[in-house]
Amino acid sequence: MSEVKPLPLSIKDLSFQYNSRSTPAIKHISFDVNPGEVLLIAGSSGCGKTTLMRCINGLIPNAYHGEIKGEIELFGKSVFDIEMSEISQEVGTVLQDPERQILGTYVLNDVAFGLESLGMPTEKIFPRVDQALEKMGILYLRDRETFGTSGGEKQKIALAGVLAMKPRILLLDEPLASLDPASAMEALKIFRQLADEGLSVMIVEHRVEDVLAIKPERVIYMDEGEITYDGDRQGMMEVVDYTRIKLPAEVVLRRAKNEPPPEFEPVLKPQEGDLELLVEFEGVNFQYDEDYPFVLHDINFKINKGDIIAILGHNGSGKTTMVKHALGLLKPSQGHVYLEGNDTRDITVATAAKSVGYVFQSPTQMLFAPTVGDELAFGPKNLGFSKAEIQKSVKWAIETVHLEEELDTPPLALSFGQQKRISIASVLSMRSRLLMMDEPTAGQDYWNYRAFMDAILQMPGFDSIVFITHDLDLALIYANRIMILFDGQIVADGSPPEVLKDEDQLINYRILPTSLLKINQQFLPKTGSFYRAETLAHRIG
Amino acid sequence: MDKIDPRARWIFSFAFLLSATMFWNATFLFIFFILAIIWYYFGKTKWKETRHGWFLISIMLFSMIVINTIITGGGAGGVVPPGGHVIWPQKFTIPLVNWEINFGLTVERLWFSLCQLMRLGGISLIFLLIPYTMDSRAYGATFHGLGMPDNVAYTMELAIRFIPTLARDLSVTLDAQKARGYEIEKVKGGIFKKIARIAPLLVPVTMNAIIGSEDVANAMDLRCFGQAKRTWIYPLEYHWWDYALIGFSALMLVGSIVAAHILDLGGFWTPEWFMNLFA
Repeated sequence: MSEVKPLPLSIKDLSFQYNSRSTPAIKHISFDVNPGEVLLIAGSSGCGKTTLMRCINGLIPNAYHGEIKGEIELFGKSVFDIEMSEISQEVGTVLQDPERQILGTYVLNDVAFGLESLGMPTEKIFPRVDQALEKMGILYLRDRETFGTSGGEKQKIALAGVLAMKPRILLLDEPLASLDPASAMEALKIFRQLADEGLSVMIVEHRVEDVLAIKPERVIYMDEGEITYDGDRQGMMEVVDYTRIKLPAEVVLRRAKNEPPPEFEPVLKPQEGDLELLVEFEGVNFQYDEDYPFVLHDINFKINKGDIIAILGHNGSGKTTMVKHALGLLKPSQGHVYLEGNDTRDITVATAAKSVGYVFQSPTQMLFAPTVGDELAFGPKNLGFSKAEIQKSVKWAIETVHLEEELDTPPLALSFGQQKRISIASVLSMRSRLLMMDEPTAGQDYWNYRAFMDAILQMPGFDSIVFITHDLDLALIYANRIMILFDGQIVADGSPPEVLKDEDQLINYRILPTSLLKINQQFLPKTGSFYRAETLAHRIG
Repeated sequence: MDKIDPRARWIFSFAFLLSATMFWNATFLFIFFILAIIWYYFGKTKWKETRHGWFLISIMLFSMIVINTIITGGGAGGVVPPGGHVIWPQKFTIPLVNWEINFGLTVERLWFSLCQLMRLGGISLIFLLIPYTMDSRAYGATFHGLGMPDNVAYTMELAIRFIPTLARDLSVTLDAQKARGYEIEKVKGGIFKKIARIAPLLVPVTMNAIIGSEDVANAMDLRCFGQAKRTWIYPLEYHWWDYALIGFSALMLVGSIVAAHILDLGGFWTPEWFMNLFA
């Protein structure tokens, strides 16, 4: 009789409640993980995915304390009976933000960190580091400083640091969050390859459709701390709520036919006839320092009243740098940027802020006041509004984002989604005509980001909206104009059907066509425009 | 400078710091100052790379020497004897506002400020060189090599690792607040008012650092930090010149202790020729 090998991971009836909470974060979780399989764990924010990961990699109960019930076995041994160092050698974890996970100033030192911690002899560490870097295809980065590497490279460095410890299970917490589509696809291919070589790979990810491209053997869907689906990917697509996680467009198209069409009508419409000009870029070139290369090259475009512009482009293409020019946060090295006819060189940022509201990627980068009311009053006060005007603006802004009851709450005590809405409200209260948003959906799950974007696009008060995104579907659903930046140059600018018609060209610009784009293109002669899958289901009859 | 073992460099730097702070005697301080210049010269740094550091040090020197010693006289308290030879009108009036200033700069205080410049300038020269010339990978191994526990030693290296991240976060927050009409140049008023006015910068940066530190701690735990005796892959090796430097440092420190505390040569005094300049 052959000996039965223990499973890499076996979880039985696991529940956990943090000491600081009154309800369990996860309840009655049971599943097994086989060697060589990719397991996708999906679910909305707060469904318990991160807690589950912490239970598997030993952070619970070693770093986070609470009441734990049930059993977790790694290769037949209970995790409660083994040391954290032993768990870490079996279970490699890549956290969501690689920037915070990279501990070394140089790539070599970061990848060697775990091996150094284990006290491995130096002569054994170097070959292991080189092997891990080679596997990730980044051996050329070995002697580079970590801070200057790109987002995609950082993700690979973090993964190499984990792989150097030769784990047999890989836990990946939203590994695609900061990557552009092409970099995300490269990362996914690596995960698939690692699974094919025998590792058990568990991916926690909001970008479900992207992960489905590497054909995960199994999918677990979690809701309110419990597993509500555990099975193959085909089955998941039939049972999971398609408004909660992003499924392939053809699946949504089929399933949405029997549901009422979503109600969404953006306030802004492209203007016809005489266009009212808000911002104009004229021959803009930009370099951060005269010793550095130019990062923007000959940028020329206009933002008119009624425009909803999505700016797409790979990591480091210059999107944020370009948008900062509209507000005067950066001044062109050559050329001019005009804001309502004024050269941004001649006005202060504070003056520009009266016309342009700029919402940064993370709300925690700007929220500071003791109450939401004070936060919303900050901008108008700086712009010299009268007391009565401030009160009126704050009231209007908080009502627009539907958070009236939180006016006296500290903004940092709110949920991430609410903080995001407060950051928008703090710009609304300044009565700016033009709203600019950098990665507005970053850090939000599918349901929340759609609700957020629907709300913003239906808000009164803006003459134009510009947003930077990596998400092609977000651009094609919400924008009436798309601009693509590639290596600091605008390579496409026009309506979504115009800009997105050539798939090969998009791939050249590191933008990957999605199922929603393909299906929209298929029905374009009939619909005349691009729509979200639920709307398209009703438009095509 | 690259050839010197970082442990020897730190030993020399601390020995210099301890020795220089034992003296107010200008002759000794002059020797230390010259030694610091020679040391700094061997660092071969370029002005362009160190200018921001020097800018911050200039602010510190200005506030300590010009404001605290020359203008208010506070910095000289306890060292320069009371009284002295006044070389500046004791009372004068600022035109337009008619403010009466009671200002009594003495020759002794002026000489003391020169001694301060040599002492603080010398220490600055020695320590400013470190971040610009020492390999950022060497901090942990160096402090471990100097006898610190692994977790304390690695904290130093981690601090260096996250300085650029912190600087970037500060820059993003500054931009985010500028976009809401905030103008840091217009921060005016008393100390409490100023602190309150920079809260829009300090609070988000601090909160982000706290939130980020949880991830950093998790990342360290997940890679077994502190769970075994650590290996340090950064190579450290003493050579004869390192031993010579350590020997010199020990000699400097012992010599300073003897000169300052046994022979009592470290005290402040103003030379006659300097007094005569203002006679």
